[in-house]
Order: sequence, then structure tokens, then C-alpha cells
Amino acid sequence: MRIFKTVLAFSFLIVLFFLLNNSLGSIPPLGKFLNPFSGFWQNGAARDQIDDVLDVKGLRDEVKVVWDERQVPHIFAENTYDVYFAQGYLTARHRLWQMEFQTHVAAGRVSEIIGAKALEYDRLQRRRGLLLGAEKTIKTMEEDPETHLVLQAYANGVNTWIETLTPATLPLEYKLLNYEPETWSTLKTALLLKYMAWDLTGRNSEMDLSIIRSVMGSDFVKRYYPEDTPGTDPIIPSAKPWRFDPLVPEDSPPPFEPQFVRDLRKNEPDRDNGSNNWAVSGRKTASGFPMLANDPHLGLNLPSIWYEIQLHTPDMNVYGVSLPGAPAVIIGFNEAVAWGLTNAGSDVMDWFEIEFKDKSYSEYRYMDDWIKSDLRIEEILIRGGESVMDTFAITRFGPLVKFGEHQLENGHPVGLAMRWSGHDPSNEMVAIRCMNLANDRESFFKALEHFHTPGQNFAFAAKDGDIAIRHNAKYPLRGQDQGKFVRAGRDTLGEWRQWIPYDQLPVISNPWRGFVSSANQNPVGKNYPYYMGWEYDDYERGSRINDRLEELEDITFEDMQALHMDNFNKQAQLMLPFLIRQLEVENLSAEESEIVRDLKRWDYVSDPDQKAALVYKQWWVRIEEAIWNDELTLLGEVRELPTRSVTAKLLLKNNDLVYYDDINTPEREDRPAIINQAFHTTIIDLAKTLGSYGDAWELGRARGTDINHLLSVKGLGRTGLYTGGGTGIVNATKKDHGPSWRMLVELGDTLRAKGIYPGGQSGNPGSFFYDNAVDAWVRGEYFDIHFLTSTDVSSNSKLSLTTLRNSQ
Amino acid sequence: MISVLASLILVLILQLLFYSWWWILLIPLIIGFFERDSVIRAAFGNGLGIFLLWFGMSLFQWNNGGGIIVGRVAEVMGAGSGLVLALATGMVGFLVATIAGYAGFSLRKQLIKEYQI
Repeated sequence: MRIFKTVLAFSFLIVLFFLLNNSLGSIPPLGKFLNPFSGFWQNGAARDQIDDVLDVKGLRDEVKVVWDERQVPHIFAENTYDVYFAQGYLTARHRLWQMEFQTHVAAGRVSEIIGAKALEYDRLQRRRGLLLGAEKTIKTMEEDPETHLVLQAYANGVNTWIETLTPATLPLEYKLLNYEPETWSTLKTALLLKYMAWDLTGRNSEMDLSIIRSVMGSDFVKRYYPEDTPGTDPIIPSAKPWRFDPLVPEDSPPPFEPQFVRDLRKNEPDRDNGSNNWAVSGRKTASGFPMLANDPHLGLNLPSIWYEIQLHTPDMNVYGVSLPGAPAVIIGFNEAVAWGLTNAGSDVMDWFEIEFKDKSYSEYRYMDDWIKSDLRIEEILIRGGESVMDTFAITRFGPLVKFGEHQLENGHPVGLAMRWSGHDPSNEMVAIRCMNLANDRESFFKALEHFHTPGQNFAFAAKDGDIAIRHNAKYPLRGQDQGKFVRAGRDTLGEWRQWIPYDQLPVISNPWRGFVSSANQNPVGKNYPYYMGWEYDDYERGSRINDRLEELEDITFEDMQALHMDNFNKQAQLMLPFLIRQLEVENLSAEESEIVRDLKRWDYVSDPDQKAALVYKQWWVRIEEAIWNDELTLLGEVRELPTRSVTAKLLLKNNDLVYYDDINTPEREDRPAIINQAFHTTIIDLAKTLGSYGDAWELGRARGTDINHLLSVKGLGRTGLYTGGGTGIVNATKKDHGPSWRMLVELGDTLRAKGIYPGGQSGNPGSFFYDNAVDAWVRGEYFDIHFLTSTDVSSNSKLSLTTLRNSQ
Repeated sequence: MISVLASLILVLILQLLFYSWWWILLIPLIIGFFERDSVIRAAFGNGLGIFLLWFGMSLFQWNNGGGIIVGRVAEVMGAGSGLVLALATGMVGFLVATIAGYAGFSLRKQLIKEYQI
């Protein structure tokens, strides 16, 4: 009997050990996690304390770091190596888990962390070739000695921080997911840059448009998916003449009917990844100095995508936001120049249908011949399971992303290859570093020559008075509409073989109107000689910014701030009076009549307390669905819909249109019918989720904004934020997307700047600095930026000093 | 009382030096093994010692800038409040140490019976 009890006790103990030492599904290993000596209890705000002197192995000289009241590090180093080493070290101190996780996401290595449920994601991500692009890019970057030094210094700094970690000081997420960081490498930085490039250029409608064209016809696509979205005020005013002899693209390939277009639009970047930027000449500002504003719109998460930093060496003093995982400042300013970015939206991704000889995918047809693909075998490691070996075929048209399901009549298998400029070697790092060092327009533009992907609109202002904007990337030379549909990857006609010369890219400096701006709209008018793509944003934001900047004189920071937070809905101004006129008043319920009364009174400003803003937003979506979803549900999926402005123009101009009719009902719907029906559906749906018409219908309550943790772990994000704004509005704040950094700079004798991002410097959910800026961001407030020129902190009680010293 | 203090102090020192959570299993197992007389002392003495250590250390960390992390993790784990989380931490310690203490005690008795130690 006694032995039974002993065996039972030990068995129980072994089971307990197993349960407490291992993750169970999403539950962390509770023994480790709850251990108050090294579990989550150790991730409190005590980690925010930083000693006055830190011993940091690997530094060449002493580095001084001034911390401000928001824990922004202002790094003062004696040499280039040390400044980036310290950037890597301090960024890792605050954001290590995020840095590493993002590179796992980029490389298709998520299964290593969370197991087989990420296998399909990893497979697709690897086939997209981000790693391939990163490997080529890092090779190019490391051929340049200075870029190599910068990247290696940063990596060494990160690794020096990783070496200091103990089980107690590991970031919380490693404890939640029960794994440990690996060594940082320069390749990881390249991967991160590719991931950002992917996020900004990876959305592509070619497959949808090919399907739509094959079912609905070429005229349909031409009419409803135009290059010039109605109402667009281009980034470079149409009046600007282009004084160069343009290259002439080779003949466009003939129209091609792909055999194999399917549901590839998985895990695509957000359609709303966009931004606003503008620069105003001194003659329009109250101070007489040039000003610049920027707010990049990205997915909102915690930890934040940006990390604020100042980097100072004897030859550089730059401030701004960096990407955790990459050295230097991406958006910011120095003593002489300031710059802000918006996504360019021009086409840098094409899809090709390739015919293979057999299912080994080792040879494909090209110019009536079979040529060899480059086959790569990769091992996908899976946590808690067997590794999976996968074969990746790379063609001259890019990596094969989709294959294995379809074949031609001759029995040959076909697949889709993706040609993306991110696959090409480039050195954006040298561009970014040169931007950080630039001291005038010429040096800034020279830096941009190296910036190939992702295409961006660089708004620029300089202390010497210059303002400019440049639509910049390495763009393939295309014929009209080339790249709008999937093409045959079979001969030279479809290949990218020529590029738009750098000095012929859209740019304007010091325009007569005294400002430059961009909001992801078409960069040029019809007189620009090159075709660059068609998936630009609608006119509303760009047009509103230009209207306001035209009107404003003696511009101050307050004016720019108000423009960042501008909630005016131009689309509602255009459409709402018309839509209300279509409503059949006699069929409205009492509640609907009250709502219509509020809609009529609405001033089109989508403030968070506006119920009308929510109703309109929803109503418009229902109208678009009513017009298009029946015709454009093809091969089982709703395909790319025409843009808002195309649909708006149609509705305003056409009383009768075949697409108004719902092909799935026997009745014939007309314009008033779909508008009325959409209105009733909107109100029914909203009432179902929000109850009867009341405060719960306010935009800020019903939609608001959620800033979730990158792992979507409940409790680590900030949800239910009371925000206004929305799609097509300058304040492009949405449910989980929006202004990820708001920055204002005035380039006067004394530089002034303000900025804020919805998060905080620390990636530690236990830190006060994890989300300390969120509430101020919601209110539209900014922080004064300390742009320091020395490490003297004696005159400012908000600043403190840490010395990093290599004692070896 | 001795087993309470012994497990508390030994595990405190070892956890400060080596972090691993399973000291709360190993040390009570050993202390339980050397407890000659009382199974209550072997089991609950260890259990109480580790409960006090883990609960006490949790409260210390909570008080030492841990307010934010405790609140967040309480939400992540559906624990309701930080106190529940601290008690749960202490109770995990209690459970492991109690069973380990009992197992150690029981093993010794078994060995005495088999080998007349």
C-alpha cells in the first residue's frame, strides 16, 4: 500500500512538472510564467530604470545618451560605428521581441514559434520570396563598406543587449510563447526592410482584374478601373511641363487570357496603407520659415511600429522615427532638412503565368525553349512537430508562388510567378543614411537615387527655403496598362528590361502655390509620358489637403495640427445630399426619419461624437455592395470593386444602369431602389448590433479604434478608443489602422518640431512607456520634441543622462 | 516550522541565483526526504514555505513597479485581479511543494522499509 502511495505521489509530481514546464495550447508554461523570480512578475516598470553608467562591451568610445521624459534616447557618439551600435543596443533594450518576431514573419518562420497552425502562412510567405530579396539586398548592401559598417554596428549592438538577458529580464512575449531570442544578423535588418516594402507594395489586383476582364469584358475594366480616378488633384500639378525626351517602351504584350487565376489574395497588405505629407514654403507660414508635416497610415499595433530616436555624431545630428530592427532614421529631420513619406502606389509587382514541362517544376517554357528553374529546397521548422521540406522554384519572372493545381490542355502544369522590385538587389540603407546626412535639396535627392523599393512620395523642406516632393522608386518602363493583368511569362515582351530614368521621375520643387503635398493619389496628370500603374488612392484626402493649404496663409503649427486631425468627409459632402434626395420619405420608419434628420443636419465632419458619420459610412458600403457584389462575385469570391470615386460618379450621372439590378433577384432594381434598400439594411444592421438609435451609434463608440498587441493577445492592447476620421478623410483613423506617427517640423533659426505616435517607446507591456502616448494621440495632441545639440542636461529637469562605456 | 523556513530560505537563495522554477519541486522533495517524523511537516511545511515565498515575492514585485504588468496579465489570464494572480502563484507553489514534500517523505519511508536505512 505504501509503495502505491509513493508511486502515486511521484507520478503526480511528474505530471505536474510536465504541465507546469510546457505550454498547453495558448497557455504559457505556468511554472515558468508564474515564477516570481523569472516569470512575468519580473516584467514590471522597474525595468524602465536605467543606470547612470552602463558597461557596454563592443563600443569603441564612450557614448552618452540623454533620455527625455518619454524615454526617447538622444545618442551622442564620437563615431559612426558607435552611434549605430548604441541605436541597436537601445532599440533592442526596448523592442527586442518585436524586432525579432517581425523578421520571423517576414521570413516565413512563424511555425517555429507557434507551431503548425502557421505552416500555410510560412509556405506562402517563403514562396513570395522576401528572404530571396533580402539575401540579394544584403549582399549589395555589404559590398558598400560604409553600409556594411552601419548594419554590422547595429547588429553588434543588438547582440550585446541579447547577451545581457537572463530568464528574468526576457521580454514578456518570450515568456508567454516559451522561447528565446536568437542572434541578430544584418540579414534580419534586410528582411525587416523587405517586409516594410512588402507591406507598402504587396497589394495587387492583377488576378482579380484578369478574372473580371475575362467575364465582364475589356470595356468594363477600362471604364470602371481607370488610371485617373475621378476628381484627382495629382501630386505634381498637371500644369507642370515635362522637359525631357521620354524612353519609348517596347511593344506591349498582346492581351493574354490566363488559365490559372485563383484565390491568391491571402494575407495581402491593407488596402488603406497610405499617408499624408506636405511641405509649406516660408512665404505661406506665420514665422516665414518652411514647415513640413507627415502622418504615415499603417496598421496600428502595440508595440508600435516606430521607435523615436536622435542620433548625433560629429558629422550628423538627426531626429525622427526608426523601424525597430533597422539602423538610422526613416522619417525625420536634421538641422538643415526635414522629410516625410507617403506610399507611392505605382506598380512594382507583376504576375506571370508560366508553363512548366512537368510537375518537378524544374523547366519552363521560354521563347519556344525549355529553360531551367532555380530550385531551392527549404526546411520549415515546426514547433512541436516534424519539419516540412518544401521546394521553391524561381524563374526569370520571379519566384513561383502558386502552383500544383492546374494544367494546360497539353498536360503541362502551369503556375503563377511574381515579379516584384523587392526581389532585386538594392541598397536603401545607403539612401536612408544619406538622407539623414543631407543638408540641402541636391544632397537629399542624390540620396534618393539609391531608394528603389518601396516607392514613396518624399516631401521635403529645407532651412534654406526649398520645398519639394518626389515620387521616387525604381520603376519598370511599361506600356499603357502593362501590369494591370496577369501576363504570359513566356517571352521578352512581358519582362522588365528597361526602367524609367531617375531624372525623369515625377518631381516638383518650389511650386508657385507655395506648398507640395501627397496623399497616395495619382502622382501625375495625363501629360506625364510614362504609365506607372493605376491603383492610386481616391481624390478625397489629397484634394482636401490642397484645398486647405491653398486657403491658409500665415500657417502655424496649430493649423497643421488641425489639418492632421481634419475629419471633413469630402465624399459625404459630394454624395450625401444626393442620396438623401433619393430616399422615399413615405417609407421611412419614425427612427429612420430621425436619422435622416440628423444626416441632413450633419456638417460632414466625422468627429467621434457623430452618429451621422457612422450611418453614412455604413450606408455607402451597402450601396457599393448592392451595385457590384452580384456581378463581381466571380469564381466564388467578391473581386476588386471599382473605387469610391468611380462608383460615386456613376451614381450621380446614371439614372439607369444595368449594374444597379441585383442579378440574383427576379425584380429589376433601379437607382432609387438600391439606395433605399441599402439605407434600410444599414439601419437594421446597426440597430441589431448597437440597439436603438442613440449614443452607442456615435462613430467613436461604434467603430472607434483598437490598437491590438502584435499577437492579438487580449489585455495587451488598447481597445475601444474614442476616435473620429476614416477612409477618404485626412485624419485617416480607422478601426485598427491610421496615423502611425504625426510629425510637424519648422526649419527656422531654431528648429522646432512636434510629434506623436499611438504607443510608447517601450515594448514592455509592464512599462508606463508601453502606451503612454495613446490617450494624447486620440485627443490629437502632440509632444514637443527635444532636438538636442549637446548632452548638457542641467538646464532641463525632464532630461537625464546615461553613459555607455566599454570597460574592457 | 523548520521545514517551512528551510524550504523558503533554500529556494529563495537558489531562485535568486539560478531562476528555474523547479527548485520549488526539488528542494521540498529533498527536505521531505529528510523529514523523519511527520508527514504533515514534510508535506504542508514545505507547501507553506513555498506558498509564503512565491506569494510574498509576487506581492513584492507587484509593489515594486509591477502594477501595470500585473493588471495586464490578470486580464490576459482572466484572473480578475492582481491579488487573485498573486494567490494563484502562491497556490501553484504550495501544490508543487506539498506533493514534492510528501513524495520525498514517502520515498524515505519506502527505502527504510526495503533496505532498513
